[in-house]
Amino acid sequence: MILRVLMYVMALMLSLPAMAQQGPLRIELTEGVIEPLPFATPDFIPETPQSAEIGQQLSRVIAANLAGTGLFREIPAAAYISQVTDFAAPVQYADWKAVNAQALVTGSVRVQGEQVTVKFRLYDVFSGAEMGQGLQLAGTVSGWRRIAHKVSDAVYARITGEGGYFDSRVVYVSESGAKDQRRRRLAIMDYDGANVQYLTDSASIVLAPRFSPTGDRVLYTSYETGFPRIYLLDVGSVQRRVLEEQDGTMSFAPRFSPDGQTVVYSISEGSNTDIYAMSLGNGQSRRLTNTPAIETAPSFSPDGSQIVFESDRSGSQQLYIMPIGGGEPRRISFDKGRYGTPVWSPRGDLVAFTKQTNGRFHIGVMRTDGSEERLLTASFLDESPTWAPNGRVIMFNRETQGASGQSSLYSVDISGRNLRPVRTPEGASDASWGPLQN
Amino acid sequence: MQIGYAISSSAHAVLIGFVLFGGVFRSEPEPFEITEVSVISSADFDALTSAPQAETEVALPPALEPIDDPDVTETPDVSPAQDTPPQASAPDQEDVPETPTLQPDAEVQDDAPPSITPPEDVVAALPEVSDRPKPKPVDHVAPEAVETPTPEAKPDVVQQDSVTPDDVTNETPEVEQEETAPEEAASEIVTEAEEPASSVMTSSVRPPSRRPSPPKEVAETKPAPQEDKPDAPAKDDVNDALQQALGGASEDIPVGPPLSAGEKDGLRVAVQNCWNVGSLSTDALRTTVIVAVSMAKDAKPVGSSVRMLSYEGGSAASAKQAFEAARRAIMRCGAKGFDLPVEKYGQWKEIEMTFNPERMRIR
Repeated sequence: MILRVLMYVMALMLSLPAMAQQGPLRIELTEGVIEPLPFATPDFIPETPQSAEIGQQLSRVIAANLAGTGLFREIPAAAYISQVTDFAAPVQYADWKAVNAQALVTGSVRVQGEQVTVKFRLYDVFSGAEMGQGLQLAGTVSGWRRIAHKVSDAVYARITGEGGYFDSRVVYVSESGAKDQRRRRLAIMDYDGANVQYLTDSASIVLAPRFSPTGDRVLYTSYETGFPRIYLLDVGSVQRRVLEEQDGTMSFAPRFSPDGQTVVYSISEGSNTDIYAMSLGNGQSRRLTNTPAIETAPSFSPDGSQIVFESDRSGSQQLYIMPIGGGEPRRISFDKGRYGTPVWSPRGDLVAFTKQTNGRFHIGVMRTDGSEERLLTASFLDESPTWAPNGRVIMFNRETQGASGQSSLYSVDISGRNLRPVRTPEGASDASWGPLQN
Repeated sequence: MQIGYAISSSAHAVLIGFVLFGGVFRSEPEPFEITEVSVISSADFDALTSAPQAETEVALPPALEPIDDPDVTETPDVSPAQDTPPQASAPDQEDVPETPTLQPDAEVQDDAPPSITPPEDVVAALPEVSDRPKPKPVDHVAPEAVETPTPEAKPDVVQQDSVTPDDVTNETPEVEQEETAPEEAASEIVTEAEEPASSVMTSSVRPPSRRPSPPKEVAETKPAPQEDKPDAPAKDDVNDALQQALGGASEDIPVGPPLSAGEKDGLRVAVQNCWNVGSLSTDALRTTVIVAVSMAKDAKPVGSSVRMLSYEGGSAASAKQAFEAARRAIMRCGAKGFDLPVEKYGQWKEIEMTFNPERMRIR
């Protein structure tokens, strides 16, 4: 009996450590890596002989779009082990794993007359599964780049979980000539600098164009009459009209409300500058600020309930937020230096701004309560940030020093990585990023 | 009570008597060996001691020649760092015409100047040690020490394996990294300036591979003493309990002891090296997902078994993106099998991994 009890006790003691390990092994990971995701985009398979060129161009634009975000890294075609020759054939995952392609975009293109039909699929190579379902897009031959942008947007959204920004346009001020004799005209282009079109001539100075939420209209400031005036331009017809005209005043810094029905802007009268809001429906305007300070550069919150603007009411140029219906503004920037040109993020969580401190200009972001300020860039002159439609990327203009200094556009991820120039035929400034196109 | 005292006293008495008279602690005398010793005279002793000295003196001179022979020109080519010393020991007048041809080796000496002096002592000591020309051990050590770091320094296990088929693939990963890196880098960005050029882990500090032989079966260790029949049921119960405790040998899945902290860290580091959150949205970076995976005996994850158990801190859409990144990490770095001890397979057959990107968020 005693022996039996002793053996039971011994068995119980032996089993205790094992019982403590019942269930799965559990580990916690807190530190991964941040690197571009390797992907492969073989040339889209031509379904007709005349589709071959567009098939190559499509894959090149898609690859450039994705790699340009800094979140993806293209694997060159020379590294491919197998070629995709049939859009419907099963993917040879092992071949793509061998070249470390984690995402694979395959597609086919069919050109019939002026019509282009594009099909594509996205694969998660190491999981051996397709991400989402295949899509088919149709358009015109001349608009093949838009199709490529739309494919890129879909791929970007499926992998990152947030919307893309490739099928969007940017309106900006194109600059040419010497610094003291610079000619400026409005221009519109694809987000990547392609398909540039000019909206105005360079007879007069134009400033600060701003896209409407639908992308079909543009507000801008022109010195056509000798004084700065705000104009509303229809992008399709290039027709325009003066929005605000009061004798003896200067109106500038306009921006649309999220619903596109209201415009906020500044009017300078004498030495005082205040912010106004105008209804585009009836043309009625009302004053939002009334102080002896200079208050300008208003920008709506995405829900349209508040505006962020710059003011020197405290003695230095700082950022404030106030309800659109009126009320006491609250200051959100408190650091040394001068803050200006605030722009509310499309996501609503951040405000981008220009900061001047210690003789340098920065593009930065902060939360809407003023916390977590981060400076993303630093140079002789960085200013005029504008948000990509997904709120992940900021475009701004950078001007180089000296009499021959040129202004050009740059983009940067809100993490501060992936700073890269935006190619434009001439100098460029005052960009406004439009919405995704339909 | 008295009975107990009586039994105890009698038992002690028997025990003491057994110890004293039973011969338990009595040891038998150990056997010993006897060697014979002879006495010799001083003349014989002098003759014995003087003879070896004469032999060593004769052997020394021929030993100097092979030292000159170990071609100084050859050894430096093999191991640049430590083969330079022989060159320093060789400056004999006869070898002068050869030394100008060794100019590249002189550059090597610059890399390791301190190592020049000790070899002279080694060269001088060699003839005393042995007559045979076997001065190569230093040469053999040097190339191995140079070569071994290279395979260990390769950063990504997956990339090494993926590159096998073609020479072309060897080139592409390197070219890609060099092309993309400058585009990302920006000296003017403050946030980038605070960080290194690339935050990517370039090397994986993995614990030494441990692939032990298959574990011994627990059944072999079962004692089989003959016992009384009434105890047989109890023995079966105990054996069952032991088997269950030691890993359930009946299922042929070795459990072994729990994984050590090092083994867990090795697994964690291996997965983290492939956990790329660079392409995740800011919402997905706020989402913690718990992922379950079943492992095969070869320490490879079963692809179809990877599933998300739960998530926290984000929406369902962001959780989906976070899970897919986690799944990619498990499948990519587990493609060749994780470094897990086979004898503990039962401990890691099922794994739950919590992917918490809190430290990697865009603030």
